Amino acid sequence: MANITFPFPYPEHLGIMLPEILLAVLAMALLLWDLFVPKEKKGMIAWAAVASCVVTLIALLQLPAGDSLHTFYGYFVLDPFAAYAKVLMIAATVLAIFLSLDFMKDEQNVGEYYCLMLFALLGMMFMVSATNFVVMYLGLELMALCVYVLVAYQRDVLRSSEAGLKYFILGALSSGMLLYGLSFIYGVTTDFMFAGIGEALRHVEDGSRLAVLLGMLFIIAGLAFKVSVAPFHMWTPDTYEGAPTPVTAFMSVAPKVAGFVVFIRVLADAFPALQTEYTTVLSVLAVLTIGIGNVAAIAQRNIKRMLAYSTIGHVGFMLLGLIAATQEGYSGAMVYLTIYLFMNMGAFAIIVLMRRDGIQGELLDDFAGLARVRPGYALAMGLLLFSLAGIPFLAGFWAKFAVFAAAIHSGHIWLAVYAIVFSVVGCFYYLRVVKYMYFDKERVAFNFIENPVMQATVVVTSLAVVIFGLYPKPVMAMCSAAVSMF
Amino acid sequence: MQDMTLSSTELLLIPALPLIAALIAGLFGWKLKESLTHWICCVGVAVSALLSIDVFMQVLDGARFYGNFWSWVISDHFVVPVGMMIDPLTAIMMLTVTIVSACVHVYTIGYMHGDPGYTRFFSYISGFTFSMLVLVMGNNFFTLFFGWEAVGLVSYLLIGFWYRRESANVAAMKAFIVNRVGDFGFAIGILAVWYYFGTVDYHEVFAAVKPFVEQGISLHFLGWQMDAITFICLALFVGAMGKSGQVPLHVWLPDSMEGPTPISALIHAATMVTAGVFMVARLSPMFEFSETALAAVILVGAITAWMCATIGLVQNDIKRVIAYSTCSQLGYMFVACGVSAYSAGIFHLMTHAYFKALLFLAAGSVIHAVLADQDIRRMGQLRKYMPITYVTMLIAALALSGVPPFAGFWSKDLIIEAAMVRDMGWVSELAYWAVLSGVFMTAFYTFRMFFLTFHNSDRVPAATKPKLHESPKVITIPLIILAVGAFGSGLWGVYGLDIANAEVVQGFFGSSIFVLDAHNPLLKLELEEHHSFLLSAPFWFAVGGIALAYAMYFRESAMPAKLAAMAPPLYRFLLNKWYWDEMYDRFLVRPARCVGTMLWQGVDLATIDKGVIHRGLIDQVANGAARLRRMQSGMVFHYAFAMVIGVFGLLTWLILKA
Repeated sequence: MANITFPFPYPEHLGIMLPEILLAVLAMALLLWDLFVPKEKKGMIAWAAVASCVVTLIALLQLPAGDSLHTFYGYFVLDPFAAYAKVLMIAATVLAIFLSLDFMKDEQNVGEYYCLMLFALLGMMFMVSATNFVVMYLGLELMALCVYVLVAYQRDVLRSSEAGLKYFILGALSSGMLLYGLSFIYGVTTDFMFAGIGEALRHVEDGSRLAVLLGMLFIIAGLAFKVSVAPFHMWTPDTYEGAPTPVTAFMSVAPKVAGFVVFIRVLADAFPALQTEYTTVLSVLAVLTIGIGNVAAIAQRNIKRMLAYSTIGHVGFMLLGLIAATQEGYSGAMVYLTIYLFMNMGAFAIIVLMRRDGIQGELLDDFAGLARVRPGYALAMGLLLFSLAGIPFLAGFWAKFAVFAAAIHSGHIWLAVYAIVFSVVGCFYYLRVVKYMYFDKERVAFNFIENPVMQATVVVTSLAVVIFGLYPKPVMAMCSAAVSMF
Repeated sequence: MQDMTLSSTELLLIPALPLIAALIAGLFGWKLKESLTHWICCVGVAVSALLSIDVFMQVLDGARFYGNFWSWVISDHFVVPVGMMIDPLTAIMMLTVTIVSACVHVYTIGYMHGDPGYTRFFSYISGFTFSMLVLVMGNNFFTLFFGWEAVGLVSYLLIGFWYRRESANVAAMKAFIVNRVGDFGFAIGILAVWYYFGTVDYHEVFAAVKPFVEQGISLHFLGWQMDAITFICLALFVGAMGKSGQVPLHVWLPDSMEGPTPISALIHAATMVTAGVFMVARLSPMFEFSETALAAVILVGAITAWMCATIGLVQNDIKRVIAYSTCSQLGYMFVACGVSAYSAGIFHLMTHAYFKALLFLAAGSVIHAVLADQDIRRMGQLRKYMPITYVTMLIAALALSGVPPFAGFWSKDLIIEAAMVRDMGWVSELAYWAVLSGVFMTAFYTFRMFFLTFHNSDRVPAATKPKLHESPKVITIPLIILAVGAFGSGLWGVYGLDIANAEVVQGFFGSSIFVLDAHNPLLKLELEEHHSFLLSAPFWFAVGGIALAYAMYFRESAMPAKLAAMAPPLYRFLLNKWYWDEMYDRFLVRPARCVGTMLWQGVDLATIDKGVIHRGLIDQVANGAARLRRMQSGMVFHYAFAMVIGVFGLLTWLILKA
């Protein structure tokens, strides 16, 4: 039971929404405060945003963990799963703000930028707590609208605007698909609650079967878009490349967490009756995603694009956890997301640090000779890339281990073999960067951003990758506790 | 008495100090001053040696330790604990390892002075000390294996220490690869232990051996049926053969002399190569239950002891003579273990560690003096220039030859007598004659080398001559310390620890060595009269060997050349080390290279790099990637189209499938 009572008695347990309420209020307050902050002091907004995240985190952590608590007629739930996802997303947001510190300081209206990040976080927090398609959709749109704007934030940079616009148009299409699918499901079950739909679908008549399949498929497509599953992935490389790098870092991690949590909830709560069907669909999608992600990454010259395809590949691996449809699988996906958060944030942090004179250090060639100039960065980048490639004993290995083991235990052996083969293919493009860093001659003069907070981010993430790699138990334990209710 | 326990902090410090020193020297050595690095390492190992002496004293008073500190790996039923087991066997090994290592550390300051890899070298030898201590102190098969592999790695790194020298790199690889063969057997043995006993803990396994043997479990292996225990012991022994340079896996040990001399002393004479002997003694509760395995141990040991002694007779490289002598002496130790006189084997291991380390370090001192020339044909009369080296080397040579009262006599005599009384049919008979005739040859080649180096005629090249000098104190002091050991460790063992006495042996080693009463040769020796050394055959064989060497080499004479001319094929056979290397090259190395080339040209290049079908896998992947990139047109309607097509494709497929 939440121990916070509000002066008004209704609805019950509103206290479990305290983190969201605080975050919403703080974000709006920041937006107003921003109007009064002179341009040269806009950096304060960033720190205020970090403080808001910390406040939200504290509010979240003091809530009772372990039970499932509901409010708003059960539309909003706080369970270990949601709580864990929220912690991850808050961490991702804070790290993304750190990466933005120096990067964004020359942009206009930088205050709004941080507020948008907070609102995106708010939307994601609603998404992961949703037990109902309507709440889920509201959270998703709040998140998505903020991210569209963030992507297009460098409005005088052509490719930034282009990226934002593409993402927006395709995002609208995917929302349309999601809602279209939802209408079918509502038509058959007359319910929006995940659990209610799940119950209703157990006794569905044969005549409505096609409608249900159609609905589920569209819903899956809508969600797959958000987590960049092929063939709904095509926005990803363009958007990642065009977006300001900290935004890329942010959207490569936080929305993926939210998306996967929702994906898991929808599949496990709303469609358990269609497990055979959705496993088939997801298997096809996973095969496509893993293959396209890992192969296409090889042809990229731009590291942000390469990491975009790498994200697609990783998402494919995470799908294995969902396909397993067991507690172990969900836990594996969460382990993957947790570790992925640190690996990707670290890699992007180094890319951000390499920004030079308006041109980001983005081409693979730009990494040539890094080991000679900044051995520390090269070592950190090397560790992160090896981890992304899944080399033991770095964290990335355990991430893959968790989902592959789940897939094998649930009988999807061939899928696991396929995934393992492609994770070997994946090594190529990660290790190529290591080769550039260590074996090639410097081609252009380096010009790093020297910001202690960003450097600390690099240190923390690469250390995390090593420590989780050597001692993965706590992460694994937390994740399996988080999914204990499935 | 048994309930006294050693302090676990003290025990953990013993391996930890060298490890810390190694890490400091290895990670920060390039920044630190050379003198600071060698101080850190020497102090680390010296303190570790003092602690080992303290532990040894406590063990003499009956203190023991057995316990796990933490678990390294837990995977279902498979648990790898990290723990220690300290008993007299461990204590005597710790003592030997740390003292020799400390001497070598100090010696290195002088010997490696000015080498560009100075700090790296210290990092390696301290790291080696750590690994060796883990090997002997562990309480289960996996810590044993960890230490085993770690010492192997350091040995590889040190043989190839002068990595710009091609011969050093080749020797390092050879050592590593030959050890792979041994370690493969070793790993199989350990896995078999885990498979059959379900645990890798020494205590638990040893307790389970007897009931296990009584169940009579056997297995089929390559069409043979054998007892499981025999299989386990033989597999483990293959590991010992690799590590301890026993025939036919001995080929790497003489080549390992490419490494700097302190390494030859520490790793390839005194400690690492004796790990195999230690392992057999440690696992005596298992080996005792397999007559076949014991017979194999005796045979391999005896053949090695004899064969390597014959090769030693004609070698001209001062370090190679000592290296073959090491192989041969290790053979003696295995014979001792095989005839169930484990305590004699460990005793010889200890005395050998002192006198052989001394021999190597003294040889190093000589090599240092004659500017890195190792050929004894270009030495002679060196006693005038380096008196301390001369005297200490003489002590070592007497000890190795087995002249009383020097250390080697006591331990070797014990082994030979044990081999005589233990009745295992032709196997023990053969072993007895092999080790006995080995004594003659040992004495001969040792003094051949000694006389050619220090006496005989002066054949030092004129260019080196003015530079001849005695080595500095950092080199001579360790020599003197080791000389004390080479002289006294035998007497101390016999009269201080009373190792030769069967009853008291069980008293000293306690339960750390297990011998079936029916096997125990030392018990039988007890029954016989103790006779004076004047009556023992090994003594006269040793004297004979020395006398022959004196006659041939003390002064310059034509006898050796004549002798070699008498049977040229035999001489060449010995000089070429029984053609082992040529044989391996012909039957293993070249066929392996053939297969490798075939796989490279025929499989790798053909399919992956530039295949027959559409230019190979590499291009296929690149093409696929390029095609995928072209699909990424940048047009929003293409992307949207892909999404819609995706949904409808899936839907069609689902419906058709349903």
